[in-house]
Amino acid sequence: MSTQTATAFQLDYVKTIGSVTVQLGRGFINPYDVAVSQDGRIFVLNRCDSARAQLVRVGIINWDEDYLGEFGKGYGPGDGQLMLPVAMALDSQERFHITDEHTHQVSIFDLSGEFVKKWGSSGSGDGQFNGPAGIAIDADDHIYVADQHNHRLQKFTADGQFVTQWGGAGSEPGQFNMPWGVTVDTQGDVYVADWRNDRIQKFTSSGAFLASYGESGNSDGQLHRPSGVAVDPDGYMYISDWGNERLQVLSPDGDCVANLRGQATLSKWAEEFFAVNPDERETRAQSNLVPALPPHLSAPHHVSSQTEPYFWGPVSVKLDREGRLFVTEANRHRVQVYQRAK
Amino acid sequence: MADKDLALMAHLMRRAGFGATREELEAYVAKGYEEVVEDLLHPERFPELDDTLFCRYYALGSTMVDATVMWHARWLYRMINTQRPLEEKMALFWHHVFATGWHKSENTPAMVHQMDTFRRNGLSDMRTILLDLSRDPAMLDWLDNNENHKSAANENYGRELLELFSMGVGNYSEQDIKNAARAFTGWTFAQPIPLYPYGYYSTHFEYREGDHDDSEKTFLGHTGRFNGEDIIDIVVQQPATPRFIARHLYNFFVADEPQVPAWQIEPPQDPEAIEAMCQAYTESDGNLRAMLRVLFNSASFKAARFKRVKSPTELIAGTIRLVGTHRFPEPGLHDLATASTAMGQFLHNAPTVEGWHTGKEWIDGGTLTERVNFAVNEMADVSKPGIQDMIQRLRAQGPAVAPETFVDTCLDLMGPLEMGDEARRALSRYAHSGGELRFGTPEEADASAARVGRMLQLIVATQEYQFG
Repeated sequence: MSTQTATAFQLDYVKTIGSVTVQLGRGFINPYDVAVSQDGRIFVLNRCDSARAQLVRVGIINWDEDYLGEFGKGYGPGDGQLMLPVAMALDSQERFHITDEHTHQVSIFDLSGEFVKKWGSSGSGDGQFNGPAGIAIDADDHIYVADQHNHRLQKFTADGQFVTQWGGAGSEPGQFNMPWGVTVDTQGDVYVADWRNDRIQKFTSSGAFLASYGESGNSDGQLHRPSGVAVDPDGYMYISDWGNERLQVLSPDGDCVANLRGQATLSKWAEEFFAVNPDERETRAQSNLVPALPPHLSAPHHVSSQTEPYFWGPVSVKLDREGRLFVTEANRHRVQVYQRAK
Repeated sequence: MADKDLALMAHLMRRAGFGATREELEAYVAKGYEEVVEDLLHPERFPELDDTLFCRYYALGSTMVDATVMWHARWLYRMINTQRPLEEKMALFWHHVFATGWHKSENTPAMVHQMDTFRRNGLSDMRTILLDLSRDPAMLDWLDNNENHKSAANENYGRELLELFSMGVGNYSEQDIKNAARAFTGWTFAQPIPLYPYGYYSTHFEYREGDHDDSEKTFLGHTGRFNGEDIIDIVVQQPATPRFIARHLYNFFVADEPQVPAWQIEPPQDPEAIEAMCQAYTESDGNLRAMLRVLFNSASFKAARFKRVKSPTELIAGTIRLVGTHRFPEPGLHDLATASTAMGQFLHNAPTVEGWHTGKEWIDGGTLTERVNFAVNEMADVSKPGIQDMIQRLRAQGPAVAPETFVDTCLDLMGPLEMGDEARRALSRYAHSGGELRFGTPEEADASAARVGRMLQLIVATQEYQFG
């Protein structure tokens, strides 16, 4: 038994990446997920909205926020195109696997952004999807996909061969209600953001139920429509508590150790914008970034939508090899980065 | 008797809501007309729509300019799926009356916030409604009240408040307008956080005392150091206010009236209905619920079937409710918004402060084509749940449905709808051309389903279908 005092959990804000755009090129438009390659490039999946879907793509930047390019452009059902992308994962060969809940398929692109292949079809049989959402890939290149409207998890090989599936609609342990995000920890266990059941469920890699975390609500330890989860090597769970517009962190035992509302600052692109648009900076200076709101505007989305630093639409949490946590905000077109204090 | 109940209930739900399916109508009829009216007037009896489902599917934040299309689509989705139809219909009503256009501010969140305000207070009292309106940032920007200063008054909001939002022309003087404007100096909004770098933000009301003209003013015969609330207090006491609002309610819920500019010269077509609502207003301290209770329970309302040209919103929401799609987020929702805009109604974006011209002015050569083509296209796919339901109800009539029964049943399930002779003859001709409708074998069932789809397309292409 260690006599060392338990160190308090601390998560530090690092920086904000991104800004909104209406065109292809530098900028994000309803970013939904992030992936980091071994060479340190950051890939941002932009979902956009269906009225302007031609802006769907994966944008590529580095840690210094140079905009390096994009792929997956051109809204449509064809090879290399995306329609309603939800999530993105990298396999051991550093190929991107992107789920699309409109086409019910997984598209694979290589690290240079070239389309490789796509697989999947609409349905409820083995290997079929009804709204594939979250996706995670383990160390053995097994692919786990949250099959939203079939209320289940499916497991595949790296090439999309069906292995097994588990779940079913319901709220009992092991059942799901419109699951969204999926992640795998260093032990190979699978975590699922069970969206409409307001909880995170943990399973073995073959689908045996291990634990459930969270219940409906907005207090510590409670969740409202969680969309994603990431787990660090110590077993801390980082949850994008989407409906509560916050990031909640649970200890390996499931106790709430942090609830963050967000503290975004100006990104590098934002600073560059203001450097050449002083009139915009003046207008911004007259506005209140953290306004006091009337009582009837008190729901989390009311507050977040009017408060610049706060998370608005935090759909995804991802950890990279450096232990940096990327919280992707679909409604604010940016990513807030955090890191555990050493 | 039951048929009349159903037709009456369908009429009520078309007016107080966006139409009802046959299954819903049967449940309402069982409940009883007066009780359904009370349910409509008390939306709080029913749960709010689960927005999280919609927001998961449609990543609605505050993107750029075109996000307004998606919020328009979201409102149509609400109309299709709400369990509080009158709450949504009243939000639409007030949007018609307090007509504000996104195209001036281009701030979508502010427009959405205005609609949420109408949802929240739409059935309350006139004082609350006008006070909330006078504090609404989208409205203040739309009518330049943020430029209404103690040192230099801007009369835009003061004028429209009297002319279009309460009493109507002829009930106040130019001096009243000036003094109302002065009373509202200082009523503005906080500078919203600008669009770059992270998207649009809404904002909130701000009262700047230093910019408020606190001097004595005379307004409609009263004198005092009036602020905005005082103006509203006086306005809601004027008999002209309920008369004006009641006529708007009549135009929106009962029968097409001439456009507002003509109201000074053309009297209401049903003065008794107006008077009954005015009385309810007076007895209830200006309560909209009380006025609507009188309206929905009146004989003149019940008799006013198909006396209004459907707005594009009503045409679209009503048709989609019939075919049963979009009961869950699905692709193609924003196409409904695009269709509505082509028909002349881009929600959150009234063309001018006069609002949309309604009644026959919805119809011109272009919009009529859009309206008919939209509805006809919606009926093309017979696999849609609502159309399948109609087909099953036809099948339930027996193994072979006679042509006239075919027509009668379709008209009944689509409304019940009333057809003029010419339209009725055309539908009968089509029904007779194929003989009995048979469902005995799979081939017969498929062929009959296709004929049903065709019949529904013919029905929605009639002139009669343009009325609701």
